[in-house]
Formats: sequence, structure tokens, C-alpha cells
Amino acid sequence: MFKNILFATSATEASDHAARVAFNLARQYGAAVTVFHVLGVPTRGYSQVVVDVRTKESVQVDDEYRAWVVEEIKNQHGGEMKKAPQAVVEVCVGYPHREILRAVREKKPDLVVMGGTTGGDSVYKKALAGTTLQKVAKAAPCPVLAVAREAASFWGGFSSIVFGADFSKASDAAFDFSLKMAREAQCELHLFHAVDVGATLMGKIMDQDTIEGQIRESLNRIRGRYVAKMGDFKNYTMEVWEGIPSIEIVKFARERNADLIVMAHHARQADLEDSPMGSTMEQVIMRAGCPVISVNRLPKA
Amino acid sequence: MPEGQFCNKRPVNTDEELKALLGDTGGQKYYQEMKALEVDTALLWSTIQKTMKSRIKTWLSICAHCGMCADSCFIYRVSNRNPKQVPAYKIQSTLGEIVRRKGKVDNAFMHMAMETAWAKCTCCNRCGMYCPHGIDMGVMFGYLRGLLYQQGFVPWEMKIGAGMHRVYRAQMDVPNEEFVDTFQWMVEENQEEYPRLEVPVDKEGADILYTVNAREVKHYPEDLAEAAILFHIAGEDWTVTSEGWELTSLAMFAGDWEACKMQVTSVYGAMERLKPKRMVGTECGHAHRATVVEGPYWAGRKDGQTPVPSIHYVEWLAEALRTGKLKIDPEKRIKVPVTIQDSCNYIRNHGLKEVTREIISYIVEPGYFRDMSPNREHNYCCGGGGGFNGIGLYRRQRNEALKTKRDQILATGAELVLAPCHNCWDAIRDLIEEYEVPVKWSFLKPLILKMAVVPEHLKPRE
Ligand code: SF4
Ligand code: SF4
Repeated sequence: MFKNILFATSATEASDHAARVAFNLARQYGAAVTVFHVLGVPTRGYSQVVVDVRTKESVQVDDEYRAWVVEEIKNQHGGEMKKAPQAVVEVCVGYPHREILRAVREKKPDLVVMGGTTGGDSVYKKALAGTTLQKVAKAAPCPVLAVAREAASFWGGFSSIVFGADFSKASDAAFDFSLKMAREAQCELHLFHAVDVGATLMGKIMDQDTIEGQIRESLNRIRGRYVAKMGDFKNYTMEVWEGIPSIEIVKFARERNADLIVMAHHARQADLEDSPMGSTMEQVIMRAGCPVISVNRLPKA
Repeated sequence: MPEGQFCNKRPVNTDEELKALLGDTGGQKYYQEMKALEVDTALLWSTIQKTMKSRIKTWLSICAHCGMCADSCFIYRVSNRNPKQVPAYKIQSTLGEIVRRKGKVDNAFMHMAMETAWAKCTCCNRCGMYCPHGIDMGVMFGYLRGLLYQQGFVPWEMKIGAGMHRVYRAQMDVPNEEFVDTFQWMVEENQEEYPRLEVPVDKEGADILYTVNAREVKHYPEDLAEAAILFHIAGEDWTVTSEGWELTSLAMFAGDWEACKMQVTSVYGAMERLKPKRMVGTECGHAHRATVVEGPYWAGRKDGQTPVPSIHYVEWLAEALRTGKLKIDPEKRIKVPVTIQDSCNYIRNHGLKEVTREIISYIVEPGYFRDMSPNREHNYCCGGGGGFNGIGLYRRQRNEALKTKRDQILATGAELVLAPCHNCWDAIRDLIEEYEVPVKWSFLKPLILKMAVVPEHLKPRE
């Protein structure tokens, strides 16, 4: 399932939980791990000055400085790194999302693991709309796994996977991935959708009949769009709730003791800035008690 | 030790030399060596005799020391009107003095001249508009920088920048393959949203040849994607070149005349090879000055023109909006107080002030635009022009110089600053950070992209 993991770290505590997941997965699947850190934004035009994301200090990045940062990373994640002794650490300069995506393009990992959004990338936030996680999740050709909370750490195998369906094309890819995971891990797969009766409708209130109609319709869509593709896989349930999708999916995942949530993340770039609370996916990551994987596209043949 | 390992009179011509120079963190050794660098006074004087045009000679001699240029200089104004910051004084005490002494100046003098040329003047050319004789210190400082560069008295980053152009024909170490590959990558990344998006490379006879700033390729390739998408939805027939794609010129800031010529010749070569109807450059001010305004002279082109008509991005944008190739969704127009930074290099020095105002008329809800004061061709430099942004040695002075723009922006009450120039964009970013100014700033492309109407036939089918 996973042979090549790129763990993009902020090299701070905020990435500790993600480190645990990355290395537990690596051990479980025998995957190679690249620990990747973008140490700072190049500032001041063509000068060689970089603002280090961790220290917030302006520094001249040379080989010595890079080596020091690599050591710092080994200190930060040392305990976890023991689980995958061949893990390599790479640091570079640039805008984090762009450099992570560049590394993904070069190394073609089958999974990217990241920490949740933290205050730590405020240095970039000013320049760019959306967070690093949003941008990576949106553009990466491979699944992106995010962990924000300690409770969401992954300790061993998978027993219960929740697939958050939104009936989009990206969501089809997320479904394929969920099914593959569930087959491989021989675990339960829960197909879930939330009928949005919340904020995105701008105050329009749906009456109960409409809601129930939509729930029925969504169940039919789940059957037609996903269940139809499951073949002999029988270890699944499906459910549609009403509410604010990011909240409902977290509640549902708790109820099913999920150890993984899979969903698509496909907000338009232009929309990112206009949702100050972040996308549904980020809300889920902030609240979920398990890792969240975003999948937007099928692997290229 | 008259000539140092890093600091010397030789330009950087190979990748190894470039890496070695970069390896001298912060230019510590470089500046140390500079203290012992000998001035080749004979060379200095003979160069002046050969290259100093009569215009500069006349300017140096007719200056009436009237001081009318003083208040025109933003650096004079932010330094408590220090008389040593009066434009006329700055040039007379440096270039003027070298000429009077027939090149017989020493190392200490050259250090002073270097600081004056790079930390006391951004070559914004504002003073030239206010001098009753039209004497332009910006032009003269540009010339002085050439003399200083030849003698090796040039800030570390500038020597590197010029070396980049010599080695890569780009201001950063971006090889041609990387440029093409990055552009393609950006297009791929956006093909889901814009299914037929592509980047035609080396297409002959296209309507538009698009040129960029290497930093876009290196650090924020989103800019390339935005350019491609906007051409795409405007239905333009455009292309990029796999060689000669860099519009900018740090060589110009450095005073490396030879590298200036190398750089523009590579772009002109692309124009001649691909024969586009015209060239459109990215949102960069000094790059426009270098490649479109001054370049033809560097390249020795008799007509003073680029091989094909060449325009700034704002000119293309205004035209696309005017002709309806790009349509703005009126609902999405900017509805916060907004101002624009008029770049010295294409507003003051190339007359595009009304073009940017026209763009504003399409994209800003009436009543929200606030002009800076002064504005248009009278606007002050962003504070980081002419290379100032990039020089670590003069960071403190640069940060002081940013105060002019900070106060101008604050006085408008704007929440958003449009900055269609890389240098201005950087300076504004830095002043926001340095002085914690609560505004946002942006190039035009990402904003236009948010409000442009995508024609039905270009939308993805779900
Ligand atoms: S305004 Fe012109 S003439 Fe007067 S001091 Fe300045 S440069 Fe000289
Ligand atoms: S060109 Fe600009 S910065 Fe230089 S002396 Fe004149 S006004 Fe001052």
C-alpha cells in the first residue's frame, strides 16, 4: 500500500503527532521515508536572506546552516525516526507548499504526511491565500494524510475506515482509495455523507421534508456511485446524516471508532482565501480523533 | 593583496565561481577583501574618457547647486534632510569628484562611492523631473555603478546577480530545461480546473511571446500558472521560449554592462527566432526598463527598438479588459479601499500611468480606489528599487528608506496595495513586515484570476 512516504514536517512540536503516524505507517508497510522540511521563505528579493520558519530570524542559509537544521530535525523527531532507520532528512528554502509539491513531483511518494495547520506558518500566510496543507492537498497527485492532534495519532493497523462522500469526481478517487485500503487491511468501510443544512446555505432553512428527501436521494447516490463498484467487498455500511458536514463526519467517525477518515479536498484555489475557517477538510482534521487522508485524483496509470 | 579571491575586478563567468562566491556567507570574506582592493586609476580614467557621454559631462558641469532637486529625493526626505543626501551633492561628491581628479581616487573613496551609488540612490529618476535643467542623478548613478563594477567595488549580491545572468541568462540559477519543465508542471497542476490549458513552447509566429522573472520559476511558479490561465481564458495565441525567457536584469542594477548586453541579446534572439507579433513581459518594472527601454541600446540596435513590439503586462491586461477578451464579474470587483504602487520604471520612465488607472476602472468597485500622494510619474520609489532590496550590507538604510512608502500607503487608508512590479512587491512586503503595517498587497494576476469570467466552453465538465 505504502512504499514511499514523504513526511513534510514543520520541525516543531506541531508535527510530532504526524511524525508518529508517518513512522508507524512506515514500519507497518515497510516504506521508505523522506523527512522533508522547508526551512524558510526567501525574502528581500534576490538577497540570500531567509526567514527561518521556526526561529523567525533572518539568516543566511549556507551548508553549515542546513546541516544544523538537519540536526535539529533529528532531535525533534529522533525517537520516531528510529522506527525507520533508513529515513533521510532533506531541507530546502522556498514557500513550503510549493517546495513540498516540487518534492512530490520528484520523489513520487505514494503518501504525503503532514501536521495540521498551526500558527507556525504565519510567515507565509501573509503572502499567500490558504494554508500549506490546503495547497498541498489540493494539488498533490497522491493521497495526503494530516494529523493535528495527539488523539488522532495512529498506533497500529486499520480496523475502521470512514469515507466522506461528496459525489464529486475527486470524491470518486477518494472512494477508490478507501476501498483499496479497506480490502488490504480487511477492515470495515463506512460510506458517509452529510446533507449540508448549515452555514453554506446562507440562512436558508430547509424544511424536514426536503431534508429527508435529500437524505434518501443521497443514499441512492451512494449505492449507485460507490456500492456498485465494490464487487465482493461486503464489510461496509452506509449512512447519511444532516448538519454541518465537517462536524457530522467527525461525530460519525467517533461513533464508528474510525482510525482513518478519507475524503476529497478540492476547493478552488480562488475560494481558499474566502473561507477564513479553512476548508471542510481542515475543520475535520482539527477535530478528528484519527488521521485524515485527502485524495483528489486517481493515481496516474 | 590587491585582488581578492572573491572581491576582484573579474566578473563571475562560471557556475563554479558563482557557487564559490555564494558559499562566502553574507559576503564576509568578500567585503574583507574589498578593503585591500586596489583602484586601477588608469583604467578608471580611460574608461571615463571612452564611455562618458556628453550628456553626463554637461550635467556635471551645469549643475547650479540650487538644491531644487533636494526635496524630490525620497532618501533625502527620510534622512532628516541631511545635506549629504541632496541628489546633486551625492553625484558631485562621487562621479563628479572622480572626473575632476581624472580617476585618481583611492580605496576609501571607492567604498564611499559604492555606498552612495547603491544605498543612497535607487535610480528612481524622480530628481530629474524636478531639476530645472533636467539633470537626472538616477541616470548618472547608473553610469557610476558601471565604473564601480569594473573596479570590483560592488555589493556582494549584485556581483552574484550579474554572474547569474552571465552563467544562466537569468537572475537565478534556473537552467532553461527547468524553466520549461516548471511551466509545464504548473499547467498540469491546473488542468483539472481548466481542461485544455497548455503552455506552447517555442511556437513560431504566435501573437504573444511571454517572458518572465526567474524568481517566479524558482519560488512562486503560481505566477506562471496564473499567466497561462489568463492567456487561456482570454483566448490568446501565445508561447514561451525555451531560451531567452528571462525579462529581468540584475546586471543593470550591478552596473555590469557586458552582462546587460548578454542578457537582452538572449531575449532578442528568441524574438528573432520565434517571430511573435509582440512580446509581453511579466509584472516587473526594472525588467521592462532593461529589456524594452534600455536594452535596444545595450544591444547596439540602431533603431532603439526591440526586434518585435514589446509591452508590459499591464498594457496587455488593460487591452484584454478593454476589448472584452477578459471579462470581469462585476460582483467580484474589489470592494475594499485599495491603492496602487506606481512603479518608477514603467510609470515615471515609460509613461504607463493611465494604463494602470484603466485597469483599476475595470476591477475596482467605483469609490474604493485611493491614489497615493504624490502619484503617477510623481510617485516615490517603493524604497527598494535599483537593487536596494537585495543588498544585505545596506539593509538598515533600505529599511529606513521604506518609511516613505509606508507613510504614503497609510495615508491612503487602503487595505490592499496593488503592486504590479516585483521590486515594489518585495519592498511593500518587507515594509509590512518591518513596520507591521496592516495591509495586504498583491500582483494583479491573482486578483484578476479571481474575478475573471471563465467562458463556458473552457470550464471542466463534471
Ligand atoms: S536641481 Fe539640478 S541644478 Fe539644482 S542642484 Fe539639483 S541637479 Fe543641480
Ligand atoms: S534617482 Fe531617486 S533616489 Fe536617486 S538621487 Fe534621484 S531622487 Fe534620489
